[in-house]
Amino acid sequence: MTYLKSRRFIASAFTAITMLSITRTITGNGDLTSTVTIAQALVFASPIALAGLAGIWAERAGVINIGLEGMMILGTFGAGWAGWQWGAWAGVLAGIIFGAIGGFLLAVAAVTFGVDQIIAGTALNLLALGTTKFLAILLFTNAPGGGQAQSPPIKGEIPVFTLDSIVVPLTALHEKEIFFVSDLAGLVAGLFYNMSLLTIITLLLFIMTSYLLWKTAFGLRLRSAGENPWAADSLGVKVVQYKYAAVVFSGMLAGLGGAYLSIASTIYRNGNTAGRGYIGLATMIFGDWRPGGTAAGAVMFGYIDTLRLIDTGNQNVKGLILLGSIILFAIGAWMLRSSRRNTAIGFLLLGAVMVGAYFSATSFPPEVAQVAPYITTLLVLATASQNLRPPAADGVPYRKGEDH
Amino acid sequence: MLKGVKLASVLAVASLALAACGSSGETAESAAPTEAAAPTVKVGMAYDQDGKGDGSFNDAAFAGLSKAQTDLGVEIKEVNSGAGATDAAREELLTLLADGGYNPVIAIGFAYSTALAAVAPKFPGTTFAIVDSVVDSPNVGSLIFAAEQGSYLTGVIAASASKSGHIGFIGGMEIDLIKAFEAGYNEGARSVNADIIIDSKYMGPAGDNTAWNVPEKAKTATDGMIANGADVIYAAAGGSGLGMFQSVKAAGAGYWAIGVDSDQYTVPALAEYKDFILTSMLKRVDVAVYDVIAAVVNGAPLVGIQAFDLSKEGVGYSASNSAVAEYAAAADAAAAKIASGEVVVGTKVE
Repeated sequence: MTYLKSRRFIASAFTAITMLSITRTITGNGDLTSTVTIAQALVFASPIALAGLAGIWAERAGVINIGLEGMMILGTFGAGWAGWQWGAWAGVLAGIIFGAIGGFLLAVAAVTFGVDQIIAGTALNLLALGTTKFLAILLFTNAPGGGQAQSPPIKGEIPVFTLDSIVVPLTALHEKEIFFVSDLAGLVAGLFYNMSLLTIITLLLFIMTSYLLWKTAFGLRLRSAGENPWAADSLGVKVVQYKYAAVVFSGMLAGLGGAYLSIASTIYRNGNTAGRGYIGLATMIFGDWRPGGTAAGAVMFGYIDTLRLIDTGNQNVKGLILLGSIILFAIGAWMLRSSRRNTAIGFLLLGAVMVGAYFSATSFPPEVAQVAPYITTLLVLATASQNLRPPAADGVPYRKGEDH
Repeated sequence: MLKGVKLASVLAVASLALAACGSSGETAESAAPTEAAAPTVKVGMAYDQDGKGDGSFNDAAFAGLSKAQTDLGVEIKEVNSGAGATDAAREELLTLLADGGYNPVIAIGFAYSTALAAVAPKFPGTTFAIVDSVVDSPNVGSLIFAAEQGSYLTGVIAASASKSGHIGFIGGMEIDLIKAFEAGYNEGARSVNADIIIDSKYMGPAGDNTAWNVPEKAKTATDGMIANGADVIYAAAGGSGLGMFQSVKAAGAGYWAIGVDSDQYTVPALAEYKDFILTSMLKRVDVAVYDVIAAVVNGAPLVGIQAFDLSKEGVGYSASNSAVAEYAAAADAAAAKIASGEVVVGTKVE
């Protein structure tokens, strides 16, 4: 089992790097796999990934978490409020605590009172937005360097590591433009360049989640609360307690994601989550309610955002178009083999259109890159929906002792 | 089950109420000087987004308002629209002020255009003013700033200060208002160095309100420009501009940032970046706001399109950082040419 899994992981990583490498070779655009791009992509991906992971925890226990955005907003605010007074680590802690409060509120409404989970989550989003704006006026208006809509700068920093002994030779190797080898070097170097301790913590949380939820009795019980709480209850699992634990922990993760954002931009500012809670939710669905896929989705958002922003000659977007078409061709070819002919032809045609666009246009508007992750998510939902499997009792209010 | 529903509705209503508190957070400040003899002029001011404290646009409006308060002894009332306010909410704010006898009522920001167009005809006796937009009504003064002219000057300064012959522009939302900044900047820079390379990046397309609040993205975009060889960057991107300052500071000596709207060199929230802020494009919203109030006090309200350009000192550049002195002669010469009409600055990016 583990052997099969790790083989699948290596195979998909190999395919991804090959595709990137082909694109990089055709476009001659080194940015696509450069150290800086990868390092920055991880910074953009982390808050989204944390929101997605938060979604996994809540939904695996059977509670739909539309309130991720609200919990994240609470996290950004907590980090700004504590961060400017007592330093960055206090900000991280406050972000987690504020997020946990959001999680607790959702748990009370959704688990104890059985409120419709979509409505409860939406209410939490509105509540978080209004409360933080109100508190920002109250607490930041007269603070030195603050304003009605933003906190003063957060004091101190979270440590950031660069391992020169790895980065320098690998970056040099990347610049040699050797097929596959240089791209792999750039990707690996990116992992050791400007690596924030918070990003490492994010990575550890993903590994911990995979282990806790899928390899321990605790995880089995928690997931059973999301699959079939009535059966779990009949076997003595304390379903309500598990749901509470999962949703509060979900709030803590989303709060950490918010704190990450505030610390990355050194201040809290009204609206600086910019909808990342919802994007996190999308990556969770993209990733089939599993940590690996969710992380991949978040990295995709972060990678595309980075390429769009560091692009100075509109060449990166062009590269992305080509990369997209190569991926479409690959999926189409694979589907042809597995006899899903119509979908396969659709993919191949779309890929051909994109290749045509690539060779006929000199540049593309950057908006194309902005919508690309959403289109990808939609494509995944549209074509893989038979294979996506949310927890069976996701969103179903549970009452102890009720017949089902 | 009924209990649950009840709680849900209470929660929902409570959250809406709180959201409303946050968004239209009114800050009433009436400070009528006691010695005022004539009937006091009451000024109603509606800020955009989150109001004062943005270190930029709204603060500049407040500076004009408080000057009027001290010099002219007017009574003031300030309200905020809150981020993402609807036109209906903005209409209510304006109606509230006009109903309360405030005259003039000044709306800060183009986002009030639709609301003001609906409200102004209902109060023919009240003078309204709007910044950055044209509302066609006989009792509205449309305060237009020639941002392209001010940006032309920062372009001249940027190109003169650049050692690499490569500069950058960070825009907020990709709309005509901000593109005019870019157009003027490009034209000014090319007037100094015809072969200069100019990178440009917007934080979001039209309609994407998050574009003003994503400093971490502006930082990455600036990092990209600097890595590509740019050494002077100009941002017209609201709260996202902070990211440009961070990136330029991280790049170190030899790199310059250019601020916008207010004199960002003197903004307390940006104090740690001031050594890297070469100059700022000044949009004298304070001058315009003061002029509108003074005109009402003098009984000759300013209505119709009021263009605040270089000739009226409605735009300009800041000289707070002594490092800009080196380039002041070139900028002042360009300003004189524009004011006299010798150079006409376009508002469209080529």
